[in-house]
Amino acid sequence: MTFSQQKRMSYYAFLAPGLLLFASIIIFPVAYSLTLSFTSFGGYGTPKFIGLANYAKIISDEVFLHSLRNNLLIVAISVFGQIPLGFLLAYLLHRKMVRNGNFYQTMIFLPITISPVVVALLWNQIFSSSGMVVAIIRRLTGENQYVMRIFEDKQLAIVPILFVLLWMHTGTYMIIFYANLQKMTPSLLEAAQIDGASESQMMMRIILPSMVGTIATTAIFAISGSLKAFDLIYAMTGGGPAHYTEVIAIYMYINTFKYYKYGFGSAASMIIVLLAVGLILLLQYISRKFERRFE
Amino acid sequence: MRKRLTLASVLSSMLMITFTLLTIIPLTWMILSAFKPHAMIVRTPLAFPMSWYVDNFILSWTQGHLGIYFINSTIYSFVATFLTVFFALSSGYALSKFSYKSSRVISMVYTLGLLITVHSVIVPLFIMETKLGISNTRIGVILPYIAFGLPFQVFLATTYIKGIPDAMQESAIIDGATFFQVFFKILIPVATPIISTMFIYTFLGNWNEFILVLTLTSDLSVRSLPVGINSFAGGMSRDYGLQFAALVIGTVPMILFYLVFKDKIAQGFAAGALKE
Repeated sequence: MTFSQQKRMSYYAFLAPGLLLFASIIIFPVAYSLTLSFTSFGGYGTPKFIGLANYAKIISDEVFLHSLRNNLLIVAISVFGQIPLGFLLAYLLHRKMVRNGNFYQTMIFLPITISPVVVALLWNQIFSSSGMVVAIIRRLTGENQYVMRIFEDKQLAIVPILFVLLWMHTGTYMIIFYANLQKMTPSLLEAAQIDGASESQMMMRIILPSMVGTIATTAIFAISGSLKAFDLIYAMTGGGPAHYTEVIAIYMYINTFKYYKYGFGSAASMIIVLLAVGLILLLQYISRKFERRFE
Repeated sequence: MRKRLTLASVLSSMLMITFTLLTIIPLTWMILSAFKPHAMIVRTPLAFPMSWYVDNFILSWTQGHLGIYFINSTIYSFVATFLTVFFALSSGYALSKFSYKSSRVISMVYTLGLLITVHSVIVPLFIMETKLGISNTRIGVILPYIAFGLPFQVFLATTYIKGIPDAMQESAIIDGATFFQVFFKILIPVATPIISTMFIYTFLGNWNEFILVLTLTSDLSVRSLPVGINSFAGGMSRDYGLQFAALVIGTVPMILFYLVFKDKIAQGFAAGALKE
């Protein structure tokens, strides 16, 4: 065997195990799922081609539309809640505005290690009628019969879930921004400080422009993560009561594994992918505009 | 000027303290509640436990089959993580040091893989595994764990290995070493820092994974801790004491894991968003 043959053989041997798994467990099933989404497959028999009927049925389904709205609210709380808060916390830590920064950082990042299922059950207990929040409100107001009614409201039922998502993920964004802020060259800020720039000027003129790329990347994470939101909500409410807190991933799960509508479920999962790609493209368009403005 | 800075630092401290309390209070409440019998949790939710009632832990461990779930979670996390990291390293080596044209395409395919969620493959995966007879087996859980871990880990490995000077491996090759020897004897030792980050980050994800085990398995004997703990929420147990104990059992090992490996976990998260 010549050297170049040996090299080529080694190259393929190094790649083979990973590619084989990736192709058979991700690429092939995605193609399969796409195909199924055009059929009325229900688990047995040969799939029957029905064109775009599944998609048409989904986008006119009121439950789906409410799920979509919930998903978009989750995207919004991530992009406009977790990211700015995470950035603010990271910035304060980076500029050493607080003492014991390391301790705070450890505590705020901690929820990331806890399984979403555990987080869900814990907060369910906290919000329950024998939970901490209700007990505190009862004690403060003296109303001994107070119970939380927020989960019974179609429009507001998602709010406690949004709060828990904020609780879980803000620390992650803080850590990401903190790492990136530390990579900035300090001389730039020092020079600006010497020239008499104020804290807010440094933020607007130096720090934010240099972080546009990172913010865009984290927003991509946030969007794809938000559309995937399943574990926490599934364990917290299962999408209920009466579909009030349902998101598309749960909509897909229920239709597939409860009603055995495999084709229909596949179409729903394709919609998640399409939405993610669409939102990410939109975001890239916006961030490119911003980058140009700062140049 | 000095005054204003103090005001800013007071506000900053308040913000930090608020977030810190938001972490500490719920977790403390959870741990304290786990030591209270059901009746006391319901009647006096804010009270401190009168005695350390440990029956909750014993009962939830035995009735909830947490022992077997714990073992399964351990197997899944270690085996899948080890293989993910190993395959990601070998792929990263191939993609960064062999300079074939196909490397570029393969890297791109892996990057696209980052966008694909478990949900978009779960239906076909379930059908495939049922046909192959590996649904409801440990292998049927481990293989998808590896596949879904790969895209990000390949990205981390490729980026890191690219930064290792070529000279090291070239001189070994000239001395007659094979590429496999280079990989095992030179590359892996040099890449230890990224390997530990990759391992810890992947381990955390696998330990907390939920939907794959939920859909691909139904036998108690192959399910993992998150799915097991979730069953405390449904009809299985209306005893809050047991539920809190199960939550503590699910949380405390992870908090210890976190306190030991916090920096590595942080690195894993930060690495994904670093601009090249």
